[in-house]
Amino acid sequence: MTRSGVEAEPLVTVEDVTLGYGQSTVLSSLSFVIQRSDFIALVGPNGCGKTTVLRALLGLIRPRTGRIIWHVPAVRIGYVPQQRSLEGGWPLRAIDVVAMGLYDRIGLLRRPDERHREAAMEALSYVDMQTMAERPFAALSGGQKQRILLARALAGDPSLLLLDEPTAGMDLVATSGVLDLLARLHSESGLTILLVSHQLNEVTGYVPRLGLFTEQGFRVGAAGELLTDARLSAMYGAPIHVVEADGRRLVFPEAGTQADPLRRARDRAHDA
Amino acid sequence: MPDTLLLFREAFAGTLLIAAACAVLGVYVVYRRMVFVAAALAQLSSAGIALAGFLAGLGLGGIVTSELGVSSAVTLGGVVFFAHESVERRVPTDSRLGLAYVLAGAIAVLLAARTAGMDVHEFMLRGNILGITGGDLWLILAVVVVVLAVHVAFFKEFLFVSFDREMAATLGYAVGRWNLLLHLTMGAVIAVSMAAAGVLLVFAFLVVPAVTGVLLGRSVRAVFTWAMGSSLASSVIGFLISIALDLPTGPTIVAVAGSLAALAGIIAKLRD
Repeated sequence: MTRSGVEAEPLVTVEDVTLGYGQSTVLSSLSFVIQRSDFIALVGPNGCGKTTVLRALLGLIRPRTGRIIWHVPAVRIGYVPQQRSLEGGWPLRAIDVVAMGLYDRIGLLRRPDERHREAAMEALSYVDMQTMAERPFAALSGGQKQRILLARALAGDPSLLLLDEPTAGMDLVATSGVLDLLARLHSESGLTILLVSHQLNEVTGYVPRLGLFTEQGFRVGAAGELLTDARLSAMYGAPIHVVEADGRRLVFPEAGTQADPLRRARDRAHDA
Repeated sequence: MPDTLLLFREAFAGTLLIAAACAVLGVYVVYRRMVFVAAALAQLSSAGIALAGFLAGLGLGGIVTSELGVSSAVTLGGVVFFAHESVERRVPTDSRLGLAYVLAGAIAVLLAARTAGMDVHEFMLRGNILGITGGDLWLILAVVVVVLAVHVAFFKEFLFVSFDREMAATLGYAVGRWNLLLHLTMGAVIAVSMAAAGVLLVFAFLVVPAVTGVLLGRSVRAVFTWAMGSSLASSVIGFLISIALDLPTGPTIVAVAGSLAALAGIIAKLRD
């Protein structure tokens, strides 16, 4: 069941997919389903292939094996890339950046007009950034830039929002601001959201579903089911503790285990 | 002075046309960090001119001895090579560009050394802008008009793929093809300018006015306007100074452009 009580409907199924670049394989045997109105975070260390999954969902790379099955035709995807992938030197205003989310609808040989400006302003209002419309994008803080990129993704009225490390490089307040905003968008509009992050603790209080990349493989499930001492310890191959504070689960490895490979090896052998 | 300008009217008009086209291209060169690409293409074009001279020295005729024909072919080959991006490449892009630059330079010198009637030092310093003929001017005019028309028509697309290629790709833009078109416009301008203006002036036009624009412009439109203005102003002032003081025209224009860029740097510093 979804948040609204409607039977879960799959939006996209990733079925036994292998992904890679050139000669190297990044991920193999990856399977999961994104339901309509899902709010899911894929979490794993840097380099585990989270961004590669997004690129496959965006159609930028093709699975070598397996299939990505879209259950709804012509799903409009809103994408929020990592800020570091932008050529940020261009002196664009915030509203110019948001209007880019409409470029494919404007078409060739045409420029954004008043209608597109209004649509961009409306998208800025979703992220409470109307007052920043005329400000230079390059001069905004990391959190403000992220909101602008989110507004750009929303300007196209997407049915699926994909975000690549949306809180990377942000301080605590900016991080919770962006995640609060995503949670609000999800709860108010039922927008399907998939984000990737390498910080498990950042997203645990926000997303109802998690996909975890660990050395033991990929696991996806409800956050409540996955975030237990036993499951996480088995998945990470090290003693992990989960505590609850202020209604959120916080995850941390047992002190000293990361620095003691012999103990980790002993624990693994014992578990086996 | 007016009589002298009348005498060199083709050269003057040709210089202004090359300056205008290079100013527009230069903004992309600077923001996209393609300075090495511009330098390598200019050097490849120069190698093409040397090859044409070498083949003519062997007694061949026709298109293989046309400086413009061979230079264009070699430059366009470079465009296709540099515009194509692949994640599989082991050699970083800047290293490939550096390799192309030095090899093209060395080949040009070797070919010039083995061509009867061609002096190596003269060849390396070639580019007498005052030597532009009526025929050259019409060719430069045709290429510049087409290139500027392409840039006006597809400004939105060039800006999008330059600022955020990932997002552009997710909205269905064929990023590789747009990049190829951008490189082709650069290659075309370089190829027709090189024989008349030489490596130094063409490369300077592709970088220096755009730097002035970046320093003074606070919006994308302003950056292009300042780049164009400073490029044309450098050409006019440099041309007049070179005639009045009997100095080589190309280097005088470069010196004026550099002075304007330095002035822009001071203004930007004081303003910020």
